[in-house]
Amino acid sequence: MGLTLFDILQRSKEGPILEEKQFDMSIFKKTQELQKKHGITYDPEHPLDTTGELADRVYQAGRELFLDIGAYSTTTRRAIKVTEKELDEEIAACPQEIELGQGPDKVKMAHRSVEGTEYPVVIAGIQTTPYSDESMMHTIYRLCAQERSIDGIWGGILLTIDGKHEIIAGTPSEIYQYSKTISILRRAIEAAGRPGMITISNAPTAPATIAMFDEQHGLRRSDYIESTGMSELKVAYDDLSRTAYGLAQGIPIHGTHSSVIGGFSATPEGAAIVAVAGGLQLVVVHRSVCFRCGTVDSRIKSRVTRGELWVAGTAIQGMSRNTRLIVDGSIGDHPAAGPGTKQYLYESAAGHIVSTVMGAHSTEGTRKYVVGNTCNYGTPLESRWMGEVCKASVGMDRKQAEKIVKFLLGKYENNLKDAPAGDTFENLYDQRTLQPIPAYQQLYDEVKTELRQLGLNFRQ
Amino acid sequence: METKGISAKDRTLLDALKAAIIALDEGEAVAAAEKVVATGIDPQLAIRYAIADAAVTVGEKFDCGEYFLPQLVISGDLMDVVTKILEKNIPKANLQKKKIIIIGTVQADVHSVGKNLVSTMLKAGGFQVVDLGVDVPSATFIEKAKDMNADMIALSSLLTTTMPYQREVIDDLASMGIRDRFKVMIGGGPVTKEYAHKIGADAYGRDAIEAVDVAKKLLAVE
Repeated sequence: MGLTLFDILQRSKEGPILEEKQFDMSIFKKTQELQKKHGITYDPEHPLDTTGELADRVYQAGRELFLDIGAYSTTTRRAIKVTEKELDEEIAACPQEIELGQGPDKVKMAHRSVEGTEYPVVIAGIQTTPYSDESMMHTIYRLCAQERSIDGIWGGILLTIDGKHEIIAGTPSEIYQYSKTISILRRAIEAAGRPGMITISNAPTAPATIAMFDEQHGLRRSDYIESTGMSELKVAYDDLSRTAYGLAQGIPIHGTHSSVIGGFSATPEGAAIVAVAGGLQLVVVHRSVCFRCGTVDSRIKSRVTRGELWVAGTAIQGMSRNTRLIVDGSIGDHPAAGPGTKQYLYESAAGHIVSTVMGAHSTEGTRKYVVGNTCNYGTPLESRWMGEVCKASVGMDRKQAEKIVKFLLGKYENNLKDAPAGDTFENLYDQRTLQPIPAYQQLYDEVKTELRQLGLNFRQ
Repeated sequence: METKGISAKDRTLLDALKAAIIALDEGEAVAAAEKVVATGIDPQLAIRYAIADAAVTVGEKFDCGEYFLPQLVISGDLMDVVTKILEKNIPKANLQKKKIIIIGTVQADVHSVGKNLVSTMLKAGGFQVVDLGVDVPSATFIEKAKDMNADMIALSSLLTTTMPYQREVIDDLASMGIRDRFKVMIGGGPVTKEYAHKIGADAYGRDAIEAVDVAKKLLAVE
């Protein structure tokens, strides 16, 4: 008999009690120790581990970290711990394949191997971004859903109800807004001719997330529900409420956790170890059947710095080589640069190439890292790019991927702090034809040609 | 760096204290602080010379990627230990009061990474910081600020839909007629300088380094 959510809840009430600061510092101390024990070293000259030998050691260190300190429940101020036997049973019990979507739009999301030849599942759309109004929301959703290179799309938000009432998390306005606007996503995929396409959305609180599930007009059992682990190695009951709903309703649970370079993980080596431990937390504590074990850098607002690519790529590779779990990479989901710029495309490509080659899917959408209150800050072309790059990277070996990634880093890594802001949908798409303006299309084609020449196998 | 009035011998001692703090060596730092006290160096001068300078250097090391959050936490704790040793011979009435900052992530928002960085950097920067954690209601911020007679409230928000809670704290302070008692600084991923201005915050911190500079300027701390 494996663990259940209720065993996890019990341990969150009976596990060792400790201050959050004590737990945080234990992450640092233990990762430093494990880094030395396993001889884990990050070499910036090699942003990808091209043999997998290092990734195996990172995976082992991540396991040891999770078994040693567990996950911290911020609700009960206790550590949730499992034994090695329980961890192995949980990993073994996880499905190696799930189905998402419905009818002809249904896709299989299976464990992917490193340099695997299976296509990854790609869920794009401008993730959780604000839209100016319902009509614009529908238009952008529909155009994203029409992009054939992707398998699903993310929903976003409106900043006001009826243009006057503010949406505030944790209040009735949040539930009203999220549950009402999710129907626009459903109408848009139907209008795009892909009614069974995967739709994903996630609200700040569990009640508003749960309120979006409605087989007729909202999210369905064939989509997934998000249960997020807090950085680093933490969980709150609000996250586990989403898990509880997913388990009770038979909805696949997708988990997300990020280690933090510069945070309590400290170094890139520490962040790689914590990324693996975070992935294991998502499987055991959050009951996720697919999950992202990524990282963020506390100093730079992008997910594709050289260090982040190494951390996430190594953690994914470690997971892929040592388990049969379904891993989500999505490293290229939040570029520093905005839409309509070459830098956005370079950053996005670097992340998605690493995700795909290292054995992951990419399901976390497209969006500039910081969007603030700017509405319609993205276009369907970034979704097309995400899908095309993920699929064109399939079957590529790690050495070639590293060569391309180094080329891409050369294009953007010195411009991450002052990345170009890009532009909004209104200025990047012709509002009459609803096609990219010629300048944006040309820029897109130029970057695509560049990457094709470097070896990306675009289908068109 | 304040050097006026310090003899070469005393400076060597204070430099050793500063170096020990920067190196995060608690044993050396405590020993050096005890020597400073035994030598009779003005404790206030020692704090300004050794601890304040060490805090700047630690901040620079964080900024350039040599130090990370854990080292900031360790250095902050170490500075507390050393300050207590240096202050032990100063009558309580003469102790220089640190400026107090109440910090937290606003209601319905559980993001802690950025807030933790700012909190730790402020502490290393010489402030007394009370970190209320995440998902903190407006009333809790205000109650704590009143209880502690704080100088500033720092509010973090990582979500567009939780940014209104930053405004709520400012509005609540105004409604209670105590807006002028506390400076309010805001920050977080989607937050901008323009938004800070719009909701009537006193300051905006783009990142942890800027937040410390802004707080020092606003609270007139050297």
